[in-house]
Amino acid sequence: MTAIDFKTISISDLAALVHTKFNEHNMETVLVGGACVAIYSGNRYLSYDLDFVTYETRGKIKEALSELGFELKGKYFSRSDCPYFIEFVTPPVAVGEELVHHFKILDTLFGQIKLLTPTDCIKDRLASFFHWDDRQALEQAIMVFQNQKIDLQEIKRWVKAENQLDKFKEFTKALTKIKN
Amino acid sequence: MLEALFGNESIERVLFYLLQNKTCYALQLKKQFQSTLSPMQQALLRLERGGILVSTLVGKTRIFQFNPRYLFLDKLHSFLQCVYETLPEEIKKKYYETPNRKRPRRTGKPLP
Repeated sequence: MTAIDFKTISISDLAALVHTKFNEHNMETVLVGGACVAIYSGNRYLSYDLDFVTYETRGKIKEALSELGFELKGKYFSRSDCPYFIEFVTPPVAVGEELVHHFKILDTLFGQIKLLTPTDCIKDRLASFFHWDDRQALEQAIMVFQNQKIDLQEIKRWVKAENQLDKFKEFTKALTKIKN
Repeated sequence: MLEALFGNESIERVLFYLLQNKTCYALQLKKQFQSTLSPMQQALLRLERGGILVSTLVGKTRIFQFNPRYLFLDKLHSFLQCVYETLPEEIKKKYYETPNRKRPRRTGKPLP
């Protein structure tokens, strides 16, 4: 096993460490949010937050993460020599009004990560853009689109179900601009 | 009314208040319910931690609202609305539908 330098660890390696540690404790977790964007955009978007969804209790999470040296500080788990914050968000995993059932498994040096698929990651970012007009989230969706194989038809189906076709035009307009 | 379900009265108050007023902050709730600040802050933070509310900082005030991305928001709204409608009119008027001015007023214009 490679020695872990928490100062310089990548977001994907840390996510894998957490996932592996949870597996050791027979606990399930899924990585969501900005960390997925960082991973799928090849770190064009930098995130220092790792948001996981789990059904486990705070006590069990605390016990598992303490073995990695992370301590609960308010809402987040952190470690003094590590730039990342780990947070657990309330289940279920959903994008907009839809539950997510299929995830991607990524292999890293420190084990596997279970996370949103690139297509669901874009839906997740678009949901933030739809609800809060968050243009940073729109840019993140575009970054993921540029770096990953995406099912655009599936995104269109979801957008229609979310009743957000008008706002989705901004996304498709940006994609057309990039292509030209 | 929903104290048994939510574990405490403050959660119920926050949720009913937001149902009627869209946004709130802890000090506002303290004044509205003539309560102490801490239970209101705790209730807001607990609901935020659960993903039911989100907050934004406006100046020095943290403003809370329902999380539009909360998966069960529509169902929660419907449930709260059903219960809210059974509240006595005087309670609704006193705590949740007080006629406070919400429309904008130009800077410097004196209050009537």
